Amino acid sequence: MNPRERVLKLFRKEPIDRVPCFSGMGNITETGINKLGYRFAGIHLDAKQMADTAATTYKLFGYECGVVPVDLCVEAEAMGCVINVYPQAEGILYPTIKEKLVHNEDEMNISLPPDIASRGRVPLLREAIRLLKADIGNDVAVGSYVLGPFTLAGQIMELNDLLKLSFKKADKVAKLLDVMADAIIIVAKEYEKAGVDYITVREMGATSDVLSPRVFKSLIMPPLQKVLKGISTYSVLHICGKTNDIVTFMMEAGPTAISVEQKNDVAESRKKLGADALIFGNFDPYNVLVSGSEELVRSSMRKCIDDGVSAVWPGCDIWPTVPPQNMFAMMDEIKNYGGKK
Amino acid sequence: MADEARKKEIYEKLRNGVIQYDEDACREGAQEAVDAGLDANEAIFDGLVSGMEEVGRLFEAQEYFVPEILMCADALYAGLEILKPHCKQMDLGVKGSVVIGTVEGDVHDIGKNLVKMMFDVAGFTVYDLGRDVPLDKFVEEQLKTDSELVCLSAMMTTSMVGMPKVIEKIKEKNPNCMIMIGGAPTSKELADKWGADGYAEDASNALKEAIKMVAFLKKLRDEKLKK
Repeated sequence: MNPRERVLKLFRKEPIDRVPCFSGMGNITETGINKLGYRFAGIHLDAKQMADTAATTYKLFGYECGVVPVDLCVEAEAMGCVINVYPQAEGILYPTIKEKLVHNEDEMNISLPPDIASRGRVPLLREAIRLLKADIGNDVAVGSYVLGPFTLAGQIMELNDLLKLSFKKADKVAKLLDVMADAIIIVAKEYEKAGVDYITVREMGATSDVLSPRVFKSLIMPPLQKVLKGISTYSVLHICGKTNDIVTFMMEAGPTAISVEQKNDVAESRKKLGADALIFGNFDPYNVLVSGSEELVRSSMRKCIDDGVSAVWPGCDIWPTVPPQNMFAMMDEIKNYGGKK
Repeated sequence: MADEARKKEIYEKLRNGVIQYDEDACREGAQEAVDAGLDANEAIFDGLVSGMEEVGRLFEAQEYFVPEILMCADALYAGLEILKPHCKQMDLGVKGSVVIGTVEGDVHDIGKNLVKMMFDVAGFTVYDLGRDVPLDKFVEEQLKTDSELVCLSAMMTTSMVGMPKVIEKIKEKNPNCMIMIGGAPTSKELADKWGADGYAEDASNALKEAIKMVAFLKKLRDEKLKK
């Protein structure tokens, strides 16, 4: 069973030989970038560099997927925001939004740009996905990600205002989130056309550390459901933070699988959602994989498996400075320990 | 001078104004405090800050979430704006200035703003560098202002890793400067490892830490008044 078959069978809930070890979020490594002679700031703007870099995590470490993009600004840029890729940065700085689209409450009534599929870097991403598929698509599943409607709204306007208005003017926010949902679906469809096997929806801003489960249900759920319904391929819903109170809602939103981070008690979530649910998670990608010892990496992998994850998967993007020996330790532990389970 | 009952009534108005995120009530209460000739510092601590302490408790109890806290903060500022010009310089033995900002690569500033608010309340001079701040700017600003405290915030793992560089540079030039780091991906272990003096992992924690600090100031002041 090769990694691709393993991951696709997992999504279909068919029997597999062991838990897969993959991600739906960014997982490029500095080791990979350096091997290719690229610069971090450059790979966001070049389809070939992006695809080449994304393939190295599989090629160098046997990680069981290939994922593009690397940053979180594709949709906001296509909506009309200006991004900063920090072209001069020496180290690793992820692109951020430099200029928002909505500056105050009165400007919230926006409509969808007509040609969103051809704006910003959406065409570049299509090309990157095609290249990545052509390169390693027979061996691993190729994934991509989009933001959730609330998280995207937090990029196109001040998060501060969005949060307050979610309380004061829920109707206005709901309307904006619906436009966000439509934009996200269009982008996701383009990725599907380019051939992705699965799409992760990252609704990071709507964590229960920030919003009440009640607001999650009334305001976040409807556009999220719309997005997940609009995705035809396998989908994974990722939310950061302490998600135990909302895992049931997350499943009800309709993804193929849910993804949770280290603050989620997976054994508890497993009990709540049942044996059949696909739960991906949930090791700490920085404190374990980057700054932890090999032994901590191994014990964290075993804990994920013992807690009952369906796939071992990081709580967020893998930070590029991850030491190669920790990547090898992760894969080795999952093959050994995971194979016995 | 207003009598005790009137004073209590005004402080209660300020306190409830914050808790019920009612900016108008806070403005009115603050104006009444000024008109009645009440001590502005006392009105801030026993009214506004006391309300924010309750907000912190409601957040802990998961009755309030971040949107409510932000609205409460707006209400607090509405009152503070009116009271501040009437504040006597407080002699608490902890007067000071602080440099605060969100590190380069990160545009999230909610936690940072909540901490800043409590420093404002405590009468610190706050040098707010904003968000997405180049690392060297923290070092420069600390040197320029000779602040005894620097607060670095990051919400994303992807931007947090710039922190140790700033800490190292500041400590190298000014070993006595205290450094606090904050944001979701930070931890006590990282703070220790990087040589930071304190940390707060999220907005609620930051608020709690800042409230603790302000409550401590209040205690100092009360003790001073008793003497």
